[in-house]
Amino acid sequence: MSANKLNTEGIMLFEQPFARVPYENYRKVFRTSQKNIEKELGAVQTAASDIAKRAKPESSDAEDAIKAVDGMITRVENLKRKLADLQSSSGAPTLGVMRERFQHLMSVETMQTTNDPEFPRWADTRLDRWLVDWSLRNGKEKTAKMIADDRGVERLVDIDLFSDIRRIEDALKQRSCAEALVWCSENKSALRKVKNTLEFDLRLQEYIELARAGKNIEAIAYSKRHLLPWQETHLPQIRQASALLCFPSTTTCSPYKRLYDLSRWHSLIQSFRLAFYNLSTLPSEPLLHLAMYAGLASLKLPACYDPQTKNVDCPVCDPSLGKLAEEVPFSHHVNSTIVCRLTGRIMDEDNKPMAFPNSGQVYSREALEDMATRNDGIVKDPQTGETCEFSALRRLFIS
Amino acid sequence: MEGPLKELGRLEKLVSDSSWKGKTPSINDSLDSLLHSLREVKDRLQVGTATDETLTILSKTVETRKKEIDDRQKEVYNALAKMGKALDKKFHTPLPTYSPLFFSPEANAALERTIALHFLRTGQFNTAETFIEESSVDIDDDTRRQFKKLHEIVTALREQDIGPALQWAERNREFLHNRSSPLEFLLHRSRYLRFLTSNDARGQYAAIAYAQDHFPPFYGQHESEIRQLMGCLLYMPIWRLIASPYANLASPSLHLDLEPMFAKEYCASLGMSRQVPLRVVGDIGGGGALARIEKGRKVMRERKSEWSHSEELPIEIPLPPENRYHSIFACPVSKEQSTDQNPPMMMGCGHVITKDSLQKLSKPGGRVKCPYCPVESQLSSALRVHF
Ligand SMILES: [Zn+2]
Ligand SMILES: [Zn+2]
Repeated sequence: MSANKLNTEGIMLFEQPFARVPYENYRKVFRTSQKNIEKELGAVQTAASDIAKRAKPESSDAEDAIKAVDGMITRVENLKRKLADLQSSSGAPTLGVMRERFQHLMSVETMQTTNDPEFPRWADTRLDRWLVDWSLRNGKEKTAKMIADDRGVERLVDIDLFSDIRRIEDALKQRSCAEALVWCSENKSALRKVKNTLEFDLRLQEYIELARAGKNIEAIAYSKRHLLPWQETHLPQIRQASALLCFPSTTTCSPYKRLYDLSRWHSLIQSFRLAFYNLSTLPSEPLLHLAMYAGLASLKLPACYDPQTKNVDCPVCDPSLGKLAEEVPFSHHVNSTIVCRLTGRIMDEDNKPMAFPNSGQVYSREALEDMATRNDGIVKDPQTGETCEFSALRRLFIS
Repeated sequence: MEGPLKELGRLEKLVSDSSWKGKTPSINDSLDSLLHSLREVKDRLQVGTATDETLTILSKTVETRKKEIDDRQKEVYNALAKMGKALDKKFHTPLPTYSPLFFSPEANAALERTIALHFLRTGQFNTAETFIEESSVDIDDDTRRQFKKLHEIVTALREQDIGPALQWAERNREFLHNRSSPLEFLLHRSRYLRFLTSNDARGQYAAIAYAQDHFPPFYGQHESEIRQLMGCLLYMPIWRLIASPYANLASPSLHLDLEPMFAKEYCASLGMSRQVPLRVVGDIGGGGALARIEKGRKVMRERKSEWSHSEELPIEIPLPPENRYHSIFACPVSKEQSTDQNPPMMMGCGHVITKDSLQKLSKPGGRVKCPYCPVESQLSSALRVHF
């Protein structure tokens, strides 16, 4: 049954962020360790070469040298402690998460078909993960934590990542750019690589707020310091920002009115979110939405919206999912498939379709035979009530 | 995932403080050695045995250790870069970007309802409560109660207690009969077999007594099965049964299959689907459909023929038989899907084509020759069929 074969590539399409988030986290841990090493050992190097140049050990300078060496010892001990802390609090757990996730993906790669007894459990976990991702993106953190806890998938979901997003977004909602700017500076090179200019937008907003408060001198100083470095790419915006100082925040002059518009804060939240998702290789849409889009489109048929042909087992025929499926295309078919409305099974050579002679209602031989055995050879169409002998049913051929 | 896992193994070794030795000593070892040198110099300074050279050597030692540590960090950096490459290789296609989906208030409400029902259906009642609190969805008490009950009965089944399931089946006997569902009989069968295969020496007697009490009403429908079940008595104990013609009756799946079967009948009695709908949709979407749709879309783009989101997919997504819920009739002559205006028609010979094709094939005198068999029949005798 080729349709039951696991499509590993199709499954993996969804799993890039799952594997990459802990990888990026570990790169951050590495950068922090590197920074600590540079700082502490750099100072130790300087101190060592200093005393080597200047000290005469046998003179009274010995005291100074001892002090200097003591300072060096303290630094090295500090560094040792910091690195050990970093490894135990972030490094090792992040590696653990990576291993667990890679192995989780490995386990599905080794399954051959969806009939593998392990697959349902894997797919349940995947849906749990998608629901956590969806809940976190939709501000339902309690639900997310509950799923993670209840189903034991904490290490397979990124609750911390989203609490970071939440913290910075909350600050933006309170009209503070500071937290977002810290994030920008932590991710400076990555943002530059994808040519993201969120930092400029944040800086411009801080400048606008100074202008709104009438702090013109501060605004000019701010612009020199934080906007001018962007002149190569953002000169027109910088010029416009300079002119903003001629207009009060109540202005009706359109480009400046737009700059003062408070809805800019809302767009900043959106841009921040997109930048964050982008750097974490998370898609802009929840994973659940992407899976549902494709799943619903694969199933959707005009028959799902016709009360005569609705099937209670069909997800698209469900009123809520049917509503969602309005946003997706219909499925496409080149071959006939005739499904028995009584048994839900596909009719084929072994289970041929039979039609009632007058109404033309078609069911599977299996279902009709069963009906006939229970009713002394008489069959009754549940749709129209037409009744006849089993032998009066007509065989039909679907090529 | 072999590639990334291999690189991960390397990285783990490099950064752990285990006895494993890389090309360079571990950072911890280098720092310890540096501390040792520093303390030694301090001692010599204190006792006055240090010379000019002592401090020059110390400075050099610091340089050496720093270099060692830098080299080790470089190894870690390279390991990370290699893992990045392994991930790039594994995940070569990024997820597609879609404009916001299910964004309207109506769609959002439908989605929240779907998710709430999913939690209830899968027995995650606490999560369901939390979710309902955090969203604007409202699920009526009846529905919640029905799901709680389903969960209780299925949990009991899992714990080998068929009592609650049997009670339900007895109360819904007529419904089950109309669906020709063997659920009630299979529940009894399960209990009978559990008696029979128990380690208790009196198990066989209990099995016989149980059969006498419960099997008679099922003779009409399940006579041959009951005969087999009683036949098992000749092949006791269990190790003989496993080697007997009735080995299939010793399989644990006989009992495990009751859970999904019960859930299916229970849900059907309430007008709910037999599978968990969100799982079905997610498994199809996440099991290759999205990848296929994206490929189809790419081909269409290359051919510069855009297709509209709202119409029809450009390609067919293969579905397993259990996910085919509606009949589809594609006319073998015109290749078009049948519609209300162009319905499927059965000719006298039993072959089915769409009405338009039938009309095109018709000859003067209202006769039509089937393209699949040589039989000629009257156009007017063609019967519209309903799937
Ligand atoms: Zn449907
Ligand atoms: Zn024919």
